[in-house]
Amino acid sequence: MKTVFFTGKGGVGKSTLSATLAWQLAEKGFRVLAVSIDPAHNLGDIYGKKLSFKKKKFSEHLYLQEINLEKAADEYVKANMNLMREIYGYLQSFNMDKYFSILKYSPGIEEYAALTALEKILTSERENFDYIVFDTPPTGLTLHIFALPGITLSWLERLIKIRQEILKKRYTIHNIRGKYEAKGVPLVYDEKDDNVIKKLYELQERYSLVLSLLQGKNNAVSVVFNPDYLSLKESQRLLTGLSDLGLPVQGAFNNKMTEKSGEIAEMVEETLKKDHSSLTIQRVPYRADSMQEGYKLPCDITLPFL
Amino acid sequence: MSLQIFKTIKDFISGMDYVHREKAASITLWEEKELENIFTILLMGSFSGIPAPPAFIAAELFPLLTSELKIFNERAENSFDTLAEMTGILSID
Repeated sequence: MKTVFFTGKGGVGKSTLSATLAWQLAEKGFRVLAVSIDPAHNLGDIYGKKLSFKKKKFSEHLYLQEINLEKAADEYVKANMNLMREIYGYLQSFNMDKYFSILKYSPGIEEYAALTALEKILTSERENFDYIVFDTPPTGLTLHIFALPGITLSWLERLIKIRQEILKKRYTIHNIRGKYEAKGVPLVYDEKDDNVIKKLYELQERYSLVLSLLQGKNNAVSVVFNPDYLSLKESQRLLTGLSDLGLPVQGAFNNKMTEKSGEIAEMVEETLKKDHSSLTIQRVPYRADSMQEGYKLPCDITLPFL
Repeated sequence: MSLQIFKTIKDFISGMDYVHREKAASITLWEEKELENIFTILLMGSFSGIPAPPAFIAAELFPLLTSELKIFNERAENSFDTLAEMTGILSID
């Protein structure tokens, strides 16, 4: 299975190109799943379908799916609140549960919700499809989502080390004293019995898999931009961010080209290639009637991904 | 008579052995407690304003740490003079 993420500044045409690539690959006979994780959710509008988390068949080989980040964040917070209430029943008596209801606006929650949904799709659908094409949110949020597995793994590594050290010391105390308990509660000292370290290992395995899928040769991150100065600046930041995260950029699209954009288009492409010489840029012409069957662009964009 | 002396020496040596083992256990216990504290404080870092792992790691681990969090809470309440405790364990006068 190959994955393709379309990234770029808001409004450059990520959804249109995602829809186009998914459609063209499906027309070539590949089994394709197109997923929107962009809160704007233009993918459904382009295909003229109302999408949800449950995948919907669009054509013989093409399926569509939408991740509602706000809903995913809500569900995550709800699950956490229930968990917290169960463990710390007294929170309700202090009205502390109101604090948790605003958690969904906390930094990182939306990224986590997106990453969890991504992980679910990548692990459960990789056998069912040849390609999964993602339409992503604008640059900032996308980079945060891509950075999360690496950050999580580095934290997990630290926590595992501390937990291993705790268990080692408990084992020593157990060996000297014959037992080890605190406040009458026996404390485990063997990794086999410690659910905390088992959970940490499980999380480490899950996020290592996501990171290896994202950084692997079967993943492509494609950059979409328009022939204008602001788009150039954001694409430069995006390319630097992707390279810092070790993500493979494959294919860049200079979208919405018109006859008038020749000179500025040249400048934008040259500037981008100055720092990223291996970048292959394809020009995609502006289509005025893109409201109807917007996924049927007249040029083939599958080449960088075959 | 010689049997009595032998028993006294044996008791003395096993007593010494016990004291040394207990001292080693106390130091290890203190280190272990501190590591547990660090582990818990790191997980709850976002509540106390220190750099914290992504909140969901804590959320995934909290249900498994219920009894340890209770112990942590009790220790926090009873820790009036941790410096004295530490100097006691390390035999610093």
